[in-house]
Amino acid sequence: MKRSDFVAIAALAAVFAVFPLVVPTALVNIGVYALIYALTAIGLTLLMGLAGQVSLGHAAFFAIGAYTQAILVTRYGVPLPAAAIAAVGLAMLAALLIGLPLLRLRGHFLALATLGLGIVLAVSVNEMEFTGATTGIFGIPKPEFGGRLYDSPEEYFWLMAPIVLVGLLLARGIVESRIGRALSAVNDSEVAAESLGVDTFRLRLQVFVLSAGYAGLGGVFYAHWLGVVSPSAAHFSMSVEFLLISVLGGLGTVWGALTGAFAVEFLDEAMREFIPVLVPGAAGEVQLVGFGIVLVLIVVLLPGGLHQATRRLFARRRPAAVPVSSGDGEPEPRRAARPERGSPLLEVRGLTKRFGGVVAVDDVSLDVRAGEIVALIGPNGAGKTTCFNMISGVLEPTSGEVTVNGVRTDGRKPHVFARAGATRTFQNLQVFRSSTVLGNVKVGRHLRSRAGLLRGALTLPARAEERMITAAAVRCLDAVGLAEHAGQMAVDLPFGLQRRMEIARALALEPDLLLLDEPMAGLSGAERRELAALLRRLREDGMAIVLVEHDVAAVLSLADRVAVLDDGKLIAFGPPDEVRQDPAVIAAYLGEDADVRD
Amino acid sequence: MADLLQFVVAGLAQGGAYALIAIGFVSIFAVSGVINLAQGEFAALAGLCAISAAGAGLPLLPALLVAVAVVAAVAIAIERLAIRPVRRMTTLTSIILTLGVSTALKAVMLLIWGPQGHTLRAFPGSDLTVAGVSIRAQELWILAACALVGGAVWWFYERTLHGKALRACSEQPVAARLIGISLTKASLVSFGIAGVTGAVAGVVTSPIYSSSWEIGLTLGLKGFVAATLGGLLSVRGAILGGILLGVLENLVAGYVATGLRDAVAFVVLIAILLARPGGLVKHTEARV
Repeated sequence: MKRSDFVAIAALAAVFAVFPLVVPTALVNIGVYALIYALTAIGLTLLMGLAGQVSLGHAAFFAIGAYTQAILVTRYGVPLPAAAIAAVGLAMLAALLIGLPLLRLRGHFLALATLGLGIVLAVSVNEMEFTGATTGIFGIPKPEFGGRLYDSPEEYFWLMAPIVLVGLLLARGIVESRIGRALSAVNDSEVAAESLGVDTFRLRLQVFVLSAGYAGLGGVFYAHWLGVVSPSAAHFSMSVEFLLISVLGGLGTVWGALTGAFAVEFLDEAMREFIPVLVPGAAGEVQLVGFGIVLVLIVVLLPGGLHQATRRLFARRRPAAVPVSSGDGEPEPRRAARPERGSPLLEVRGLTKRFGGVVAVDDVSLDVRAGEIVALIGPNGAGKTTCFNMISGVLEPTSGEVTVNGVRTDGRKPHVFARAGATRTFQNLQVFRSSTVLGNVKVGRHLRSRAGLLRGALTLPARAEERMITAAAVRCLDAVGLAEHAGQMAVDLPFGLQRRMEIARALALEPDLLLLDEPMAGLSGAERRELAALLRRLREDGMAIVLVEHDVAAVLSLADRVAVLDDGKLIAFGPPDEVRQDPAVIAAYLGEDADVRD
Repeated sequence: MADLLQFVVAGLAQGGAYALIAIGFVSIFAVSGVINLAQGEFAALAGLCAISAAGAGLPLLPALLVAVAVVAAVAIAIERLAIRPVRRMTTLTSIILTLGVSTALKAVMLLIWGPQGHTLRAFPGSDLTVAGVSIRAQELWILAACALVGGAVWWFYERTLHGKALRACSEQPVAARLIGISLTKASLVSFGIAGVTGAVAGVVTSPIYSSSWEIGLTLGLKGFVAATLGGLLSVRGAILGGILLGVLENLVAGYVATGLRDAVAFVVLIAILLARPGGLVKHTEARV
């Protein structure tokens, strides 16, 4: 977390302390609602901005929190804090049960499932006697702590403000943490992040569950403030309001949840006053028109929300993060020793892929040992990249086995492959667009660091580790000669440097096995020589490298063994000299003759 | 036995309505990857328009045509005003955006028609009883509309060059543009089609299920579940999914508890996504 965050929090705390003193009670009352909704929206902002998922039924978690609190307090006399823990826990449990099956799937399914959950919950609380049916549950007392009764808007505002601030701080910590970095990388390129060991599903699930926790806590405060919880707490329009708050505030930032909440609440109030004047006899739901239109306008005109607007107003470029020099910082934890030179690292058995009737890769078997460079070559469309995708877990093979360091990885996700000690680069670069060069490489340290959601949220316990991550990332940049570009946005680098950055990112994982998909493509002659020298150094250190390459001449001089694919079949596998003489290889390359000779 | 048949018949009709909504989802998603949450509102709006047109003294058929035309125009206007201006449209953005559209539409309907439900007068024809199972004429109309409209959309997307070209937009946007398919036009056409199918669903169901400003949400969700059952890209799948969901719902409502009806879609959605994320209809595997 940056210093500016602490400044912002301190400033906010001051504003919150003064707010109830200087504005009329009616406005403080709106402020209380804004805080309740802000708390809920923080989670939603994390979910949408960080995990790239949307919940259309967040009111469900809000209502679960509110109802649980109301029932526990009024019927069973449970003390408020204990009830609140149960209420938040139950909201999180509900999210876990929904997210567990659905977050494995792409994009929109969670949105629709949460929408469904919202509807089902709204119907159920309306029907069930247990939840008081249409009348709901009333008689929830105002909270009282240490003899102080929080019953006026001013008091309640002061009760909530510190909690909202802590909620913001924790969320902010998560955004800046190892988990936040990994999820942001997933939003930029899921496949690249997973190849660096990021378990997308797991992290998304954690954020979703956390976001439900925030909503549940919002519901708890809502119950105590209103004194009654009715089915309207679960109503769909609440979900829309939460969504509007997050989108209006700006999805990229947790601060947006707070600005959005105040903006929407005051807007809501204004419309409540204004619409009946405009349309006599209009029902209260008419403010939905306003919400709907505002939502559309923001997405169309201001996709970054209010946050983006203020940014633009102050039009100050973020100062590039100054990289820490690699000298400072504690020594990083060394990972277990590399496998012994010559020991088998990668075993591929009978790997086959069919697309409909087309056999793209046909029964390929090969093995790669520690400390050697293996090149995979073949004419266009021979199945090299498909082969790579299957080995690295990006694509599920139709049949066959892939074993890395003794772990079966075929048909599992790329992060399993990474966990087994292997990673890859991509033919079409997969740069994490929204972060710096250093930030890109830091994602590569994901598996070599451990701070989870909780440590990240608390910021301080993860500081030492963050320093080590940075130091290691700078070392990797050094290795490819990019240290001076560390603070630049990755997308601003020229193509050749982006390729090198991807290699540095892969090296940051300290893999035993490195797969490079056409690493030479688009590089100048000098850059190619440098890259070849780097690969030789890595081989000396005992790393195994497999590369797909078009530049056959470069490959033959670099590789210890060459595998040749033609039409999906492995037609030769051996030392370069042997392969060069192989009649089948020469036949396969007829027409691409020049490539082999030069 | 008669009970079972009765539930199935009622479910078929309801499923026909879901199928029509589902086709609208598929029509748009297959072309632009947009999930249009306002799909259910198209049906609600069409029903209410038809009721007003009929109430103004128009005979049934012209009233229906007016309603369908209005909704198609609204759908096209939405595409123009809300969808097209967005520069980086992702499925996620589209969900938020169309949620806004749907919310606004709902509220407009509430303003114009008020909170009560209205019913369109029944289509001509008399109800019949076959083997102890009573079949309402309106139910036959729903199924006929589903078959006719569904068939037409299927034929357009799967059998005509135009339709296939539109679908190519989602899979290969750049290639589609290179060979001269206009993405913006494709998106417009897909919204028009979705407007028509949604509207037809709205007008044929109005006499039995009634129309009000708020029916769009559940109707839309169920249409989406039906479309998901069919894999979200297949018109045939959407029709099958709709029918299946309708029958299942009625069986649960009939044999278990009426109140659980709305939960069925949600449970089915999760079950299907777990068992067969690609939908019930088999697709040829796409290349990554």
